[in-house]
Amino acid sequence: MNSPTKTKQNKLIIAKEMLGNLVDRRVLTALEVCVRCGICTESCHYYQSNPKIEHTPYYRAELVRRLYRRFFDPVGRVFPQWFGAGETTEDLLSKLAETAFSSCTLCQRCTLACPFGVETAEIMRITRSVATATGNAPDILVELANAAIAKEENAELFRDIYLDQIKDLEKEVQDILGSSKARIPVGEKGARMLYVPLAGAHTIVPQAVLFNIAQESWTLGMFEASNYAVFLADGVKAKHIAERITKEAEQVKAKEIIIAECGHAYTTMRWDVPKWRGSPLPFKVRSIIEVLDEYVREGRLHLDSAQNSQPTTYHDSCNLGRKGGIFEEPRRVIRAAASDYREMTPNRLHSYCCGGGSGLVAVEEWADIRLQAGKLKAEQIRQTGAKIVVTSCDNCRHQIKELSERHDLGIEVTSVSELAVKSLA
Amino acid sequence: MTLEIKSDQTINLEGLLCPIPVVKVSQAIKNMAVGGVLEATATDPGVLLDIPAWVKSTGNELLSIKKEDKLIRFFIKRTK
Amino acid sequence: MVTAGLALAGAAILVAGTVTIMVAIQRRPYQAEIAPTKGSPGQGVLYAFTLGMAPWAKESARRHWVAYLRGIVFHIIIFVGGLFLIASPWLTEFPSLLRVSLAALFALGAALTFAGFGMRLSDPALRRLSTPDDYFALALVTLFLASGAASAAQIEFLPAFWAISGITMAYVPFGKLRHFLYFFYERAFLGLVFGSRGVLKWKHE
Repeated sequence: MNSPTKTKQNKLIIAKEMLGNLVDRRVLTALEVCVRCGICTESCHYYQSNPKIEHTPYYRAELVRRLYRRFFDPVGRVFPQWFGAGETTEDLLSKLAETAFSSCTLCQRCTLACPFGVETAEIMRITRSVATATGNAPDILVELANAAIAKEENAELFRDIYLDQIKDLEKEVQDILGSSKARIPVGEKGARMLYVPLAGAHTIVPQAVLFNIAQESWTLGMFEASNYAVFLADGVKAKHIAERITKEAEQVKAKEIIIAECGHAYTTMRWDVPKWRGSPLPFKVRSIIEVLDEYVREGRLHLDSAQNSQPTTYHDSCNLGRKGGIFEEPRRVIRAAASDYREMTPNRLHSYCCGGGSGLVAVEEWADIRLQAGKLKAEQIRQTGAKIVVTSCDNCRHQIKELSERHDLGIEVTSVSELAVKSLA
Repeated sequence: MTLEIKSDQTINLEGLLCPIPVVKVSQAIKNMAVGGVLEATATDPGVLLDIPAWVKSTGNELLSIKKEDKLIRFFIKRTK
Repeated sequence: MVTAGLALAGAAILVAGTVTIMVAIQRRPYQAEIAPTKGSPGQGVLYAFTLGMAPWAKESARRHWVAYLRGIVFHIIIFVGGLFLIASPWLTEFPSLLRVSLAALFALGAALTFAGFGMRLSDPALRRLSTPDDYFALALVTLFLASGAASAAQIEFLPAFWAISGITMAYVPFGKLRHFLYFFYERAFLGLVFGSRGVLKWKHE
């Protein structure tokens, strides 16, 4: 039986080993290039909403930097104080874990603010990996990742429940379209697109309406797109969860995987999964937003902006925007669907994170931290005078809804797909 | 027969979208004694899958989950 | 003669250290973007090293324009200082106008680097996070430029400049001054990743 002291020692050994293994060329560069000039300070929404040193990007990264130098730098190993490194303790590991999970949403805004381009998010990502491996990650993220795996392991059990649920939703789609021919196909072989929703009707019904109108060849995925293991930076589980989807796409012989309006799910499937596999995916990966934009531009979807005359704004999800280059696609659809569109300032590349990203909305005990960090976003929204906030990420949606309640914004938060359905001509 | 299940705590998850119902259930269960029963009502159909999957992965016991028109009612017993 | 040897030894350590660091970097795994690109990695890299560095491209640079400008100017002066060090054995052949100009430039550089102490000590957050390495590196670079200015003005200071240059170069691989090398990697990674994803490009719609 392990004594508490031995367990603590083991955790430190695991932390050291993992840190050594996870520091790739990009992370090493991010660790080494920072000169602590402080120019990035105000780029962070945490700092803007609550200015204190712990909320600066360089403070967060510096905690890891010092640990790394103490473990691996030739000078740091002999004279850790030279680099400001203190004792490596279990408390430090807990502090690092809390910092990586609660005080950074990996939004990468600071990277663009830095004269060097330090990728603090990459440093925080490996810190999350270490925290997960040493048992310091938030329980709920682990539970949600495990639940996703349990769904696949018990696929037969869940299949019937899911199909029943989809039958009910299909009726809703038929009612909206006034056509009994409208369908939500599941597992249909030969469909061109595999649409991967989230675990909620709001990511199935509106999209099914739009696919039916556009007469798309599509089929609904069995599993949800979200991948909580990505937030944990648990590579093994994240790959496992993502493979549920790629396997299904192979089974139905889809040409494209279309990801629901979800920031991290898009980044994962579009950019990360090929790296994990070591080869490109045999199908194209797009966000539903890109598909809707295509429908509107090609005239397959006719939207009437007069149907939505309330002031409307768009919040750029960090994953889709800054990390994915999807800036104009949602805007084109929204402009076609709403007559009074207004931009937040700043937006697109320089958009501020809403504060709920990277799994934070799921961690109840840190709700106050994230809602405080979202103060800046609330202010941005208020300044637009918008009554409708469109966002293309469910995490942002949850966060902005809560921000609205806390800051009395009196707004409705919706997705691009839902707005498009409301504006059907 | 869900009516026969006696709950120690009830939470309202109506209007909440997944995964927030799972998040709230997880927190509520953690605050209950082992053996305690949690009753919850939700509206997002995603819980029909998410709750059984969460229960399976955490080892708790799903005593019942039923859809009553738009409302989904479920009972979970904390087992450890 | 002794100080010239010191400078050469320092230069040798700098070169050997730089090569060692580059080998260490290359030994680390690197995962390039494999997915079909949305933009251009080449354009991203070009942007990262040019317009992406422009003060007007960064809200942070506009906010901290003094620190940003200071950084750009003194780094350029350090680069000129390096060239001066290489050419310094032929200092007697320099036209006097050039020597006076270089002395003024290096004096400005020394003043700007020395100001770094003030910036670090006056900002509570920076003061808390600054390490002995930060102050030592700042002192070395300040002395390097100050002695460069002195020797450009008065040839008698050349041995001192060589000695300080030797120590500074020898320290580069062991402390924060090695960021000069990582700078090129970081900008390249930024350009490659964000360029591939269509995020960094010359002009957004």
